[in-house]
Order: sequence, then structure tokens, then C-alpha cells
Amino acid sequence: MSQVSQQVLDIAVQYLGPAAERFLERQTKAHMDNLPFADLKRSDIPTLASWVRTSAALIIDKKKAEELAERISRLG
Amino acid sequence: MYTYGETKNALKETTQDELRGLASIIATQIDGDAMAALRPGDEETPAFVAIRHQLETIRQSNPDILYLYTMRQAGDTVEFIVDADYGVEDGAAIGEVYDRVFPELLAGFTAPSVDSEFTTDGWGTVLSGYAPVRDSSGTVVGLVGVDMDSSRVMQRQDFIGNTIFVIIGIAVLIAGGIIALFSRTIIRDIKTLNATANAISTGNTGVTIGIERRDEIGELADSFGRMVASLKIMMDTDAGEK
Repeated sequence: MSQVSQQVLDIAVQYLGPAAERFLERQTKAHMDNLPFADLKRSDIPTLASWVRTSAALIIDKKKAEELAERISRLG
Repeated sequence: MYTYGETKNALKETTQDELRGLASIIATQIDGDAMAALRPGDEETPAFVAIRHQLETIRQSNPDILYLYTMRQAGDTVEFIVDADYGVEDGAAIGEVYDRVFPELLAGFTAPSVDSEFTTDGWGTVLSGYAPVRDSSGTVVGLVGVDMDSSRVMQRQDFIGNTIFVIIGIAVLIAGGIIALFSRTIIRDIKTLNATANAISTGNTGVTIGIERRDEIGELADSFGRMVASLKIMMDTDAGEK
């Protein structure tokens, strides 16, 4: 797993629990040309943050989803 | 209760200081030479009338003073010389012996002193201050006694006591209100968590936890939120795979 992937995962676990990796894997594969989450690069962060903002809001509180996306986007 | 007790004591000490000071000032106003010369039967003399009038005027100017008088030692006893009440009510005549002699009263013949506690005699319950009266050569020829009615002191103590109880009452009400408000928000958030848990347990995964607190309840809500989010992700993934 790339260093960026690990950083994103560390943040996402705080909001989504143990299934965070599965969630991120689904975002990168479904919305980022089938990109494996483990191969995430710093340049992919803005796109991922945007999809996380939308998809996480369906699972957790909107405010918290926004907070998660904001923290991920700061890694870019 | 402790505060009330301490305030009561402080108020008594203040009253004692006030009486001691009052007696000292009045003592300097009295003509010691004229007073020393007064003997039983001199109640109609100009000297007696002048001192009695002087004492009466001072007493009328200060409503806190109940009785005002001068005394001297006569052997082992203490006798009245000029009583502001002589000729009115039950005022003492010259030479009338005072039947209760106690250390604070005797101390008043040498230096200003005050009763340590209320004393009760034939005139009522009073707190008294004493100060020596001197003649022109500086020799102590007697003392002046200032009595304050116990009810005046009690009134002051009751006022302080009531004020303290009102303040304590208001503080208890405010504290109770804060505790009730705090308890209500805790109970409300616990009920929210409980309702969310119930919803998930019946298969409703469309729930979110909107509790934001910086305490243990907040941590519990965060943990619970992570658990619910993971559960939803896994359920969605499983559904997708099928």
C-alpha cells in the first residue's frame, strides 16, 4: 500500500471503522478508472476527496462526511 | 450554617467594638470632677442635672443606645452615680447598688471594655460597653456604661442570616437548573443512541448519528457511528457482490 493510501486509510478509519478500506477501494474502482486503492497517488487525492464527500454522506452524518473529505483533501 | 455562624460572630464583634468606642468617647465628655462629688441625695443639684441631661441628649441622638449611666466602685460593690433614666421610668438614683458585678464591668474602671456575652438583669437583656471617667487630674472616678438592647443586635444578625439564606437559596436553584439542563441533554443523547441501535437491530441501516459532544457520551456516539458506518459498508458490499 502506498504511503498516501495509508494516510487516507488512517483518517477514514476514524469515521468509517474497520470497513473503511473496503469503502475506499469501492470509490477508487467505481469512480477512478478501476484504480486499486493501494496504488493511490497524491495527484488522485482531489478526485477521491470529492467522491468521498458524496458517498460518505450516504453512510454517516453529512457534517462528519464533509469533515472526512476535507481532511483527505488536505493530503493532496 | 458555618458562614452564618461566622457572620453572626463577626457582627457581634463589630457591635462590641462599636460599644467600646462609643463608651470611650462619651467618657471623655463627662465632667469627672463634678461626677466624683455627687453623693446620694444630690439628684436635684445642677451638677447631677447637667450630667443626666448630657447623657440623655447623647442617648436620644443614638437609637442603638438603650441605657446610658455612670457608676463607681464602693468597696466590693458597684453603685450608680448618674442614670440618664433617673426620674423617668425605673432609673437608678445616686448610690443605688448594682447587684451584679462581673469581670468586664470591673475592667471598665481601668480601660474601655465590653461584655463578652449578652447579660440579663432587671432592665432586660443587653450588651454593654464601659469606659473609665477621669477627673481633671486624670484619676479614674468611675465609668460610663452604654447598653445596647439585645433585640437591636438580633435584628442585625437576622438581617444577615436572612440575606445568607436567600443567597444560598438562589445558588441552589441555579445549580439545580444547570444540573437538570445537563442531565436532560445527556438523557436525550442516550435516547438517540438507543433509538439508532434499535433501528439497526431491526434492519434499518438508513440511520445517522448526529450527536456532537466533547465528553464520554460524545466518544460513545463516535464509536457507535463508526460501527454503524462499517456495518452499512459491509452490507452494501455484500449486496453488491450478490
